[in-house]
Amino acid sequence: MATKDEMSGLERIATALQQKEPDRVPVAPLVCGASHRVYGITYGEWSRCTNIDAMVRGHVEAIKLLGHDGVVALVDLSVEADAFGCEVIFPEFDTAHPNYDSPFIKGPDEYGKIKKVNPRKTQRMKGVIDMVAGLSREIGETHAIVGFVYGSLGTLSMMRGPENFFMDLMEHPDEVMEALQIMDDVLAEYAVAQAEAGDHAVCYDNLYASQSILSKELWEKFEGESQKKVCDAIHNAGALVLFHNCGNGIYFDMCEKWGSPIGISHAYVSDDVDSWAEHKAKWGGKIATIGWIPPGPVAMLGTPEEIEEECKAEIEIFAKGGGFILSTGCEFGPNAPLWNSRLIVDAAKKYGVYK
Amino acid sequence: MAFTEKEKELIDRLQDAVVNYKVDEAKKAAQDAVDAGVNAYTMTMEGLAGGMAVVSEKFDSHEYFVPETLLCAKALYAALDILKPRIKVKEGEVKGQVVLGVLQGDVHDLGKNLIKAVFEAAGWTVHDLGRDVPLQKFVEEQIRTDSDIVMLSALMTTSMVGMKRVIPMIKEKNPNVKIMIGGAPITEKTVEEFGADSTADNAPNALQEAIRMVDVLKKGEMASA
Repeated sequence: MATKDEMSGLERIATALQQKEPDRVPVAPLVCGASHRVYGITYGEWSRCTNIDAMVRGHVEAIKLLGHDGVVALVDLSVEADAFGCEVIFPEFDTAHPNYDSPFIKGPDEYGKIKKVNPRKTQRMKGVIDMVAGLSREIGETHAIVGFVYGSLGTLSMMRGPENFFMDLMEHPDEVMEALQIMDDVLAEYAVAQAEAGDHAVCYDNLYASQSILSKELWEKFEGESQKKVCDAIHNAGALVLFHNCGNGIYFDMCEKWGSPIGISHAYVSDDVDSWAEHKAKWGGKIATIGWIPPGPVAMLGTPEEIEEECKAEIEIFAKGGGFILSTGCEFGPNAPLWNSRLIVDAAKKYGVYK
Repeated sequence: MAFTEKEKELIDRLQDAVVNYKVDEAKKAAQDAVDAGVNAYTMTMEGLAGGMAVVSEKFDSHEYFVPETLLCAKALYAALDILKPRIKVKEGEVKGQVVLGVLQGDVHDLGKNLIKAVFEAAGWTVHDLGRDVPLQKFVEEQIRTDSDIVMLSALMTTSMVGMKRVIPMIKEKNPNVKIMIGGAPITEKTVEEFGADSTADNAPNALQEAIRMVDVLKKGEMASA
């Protein structure tokens, strides 16, 4: 039976991340790009990060409409690559992406083109930092604000094109490594700037740290220390570290070793377990789970009954003992029915009350 | 099927080159096969496709991952470029034709490219439309090529909804064509919801599924003949 909330969204999320049971299961369905629809600007304009007021208002109004407990400052995965000089295409009704027909790094001999940039001055990184500052002013006392950084491997893959990049990891490792080391400092500074702007936490996306993409050995070789550098910077800036990884068979042991996140937003279980119940038993008390409603089949296409059923099932497995924030396994589809996000929040209020 | 000693040696070399992603070895073995005058189709199916089957097992068992698989495909294509012009297809041996592409608004084509490599190695004709493909283009290409199967790929939820629109567009023009959809957000539920015929979670499974669908199509044609 649903009861009146006793905690703010911020208190609720903070409690859950500390492996304690708050008043009810926190809920944050990764409404990021979808928020542009609440304030009425196009996705293209939103993605360009030129109208910060509208971006902040979109999130604030989305929270009033939908009722979730926290916000992630994800715009899209091309923000960092854009800052380093990658040409980005901004469709009016779709997610911005690099121009893969003309990648920034056209061959393995061009990794040397990667130069340090100032995240506090480049268009979209600055836009994200300013958006975080605006959100902190508006809702920072009551709702969790989480910054976002796409990891070094992911960012570099955007600039080379994923297919060629993955082959370069094996065929031109030295060139890749040199570029990564230049990027690390910039990404760390970007994360720190978001923390200084008022983030409670910064989320580092280490998408390739899963069986879906790279072997554990190859991932660790290229991104382990890079990730740790960014995470250490976040910790030193006084913010919490979260990860996001929507790959299958996530290397939770690598996440723990190279970043010590307090929680991970994920869509699938760790590589060392076979079920969600096993995942809860093995990792639930160490690293909070933020997830894992399938964003496509359920959050976007599910009927209200299917959405409620999925949320109920996930709460039953994960809620006990805290360490769980109900969310989508990846970003709530920017063009998904917005009301489905409200149904997820309602399900948390209905089934997630701690007795 | 019995092979001569020479054929077996070349098949083994081609398989080894693909499995161990040795591009130069793959090219050399393919050229040696051409120079020896052995059946290029046999070399492709037994050597290249055979090698890719081993790669698929390694991928499924988490011995190989995306980089290794891509390098294997690179070796495969290096050899296929040499063998393909020499392939004489016997009547009745064409496996099938597919139209393949990534939906409009989506530029993630790695999975699509792996499927293309596996299908071409297996002797299929693949009409690759690339990425960010306007919906109408799938319809037009299927009509133009009379392909048995249209394969739609999308990684993002924003682009996958295009599948729901384009599938009835294709089926309206040709009710018999089979539609396979794929990509990270796709599940069996999505297949049903969108009116597709099947999905597969990796390239070798996609090939098996495609073979099954073409068999169904052919049996249907024979029944109505």
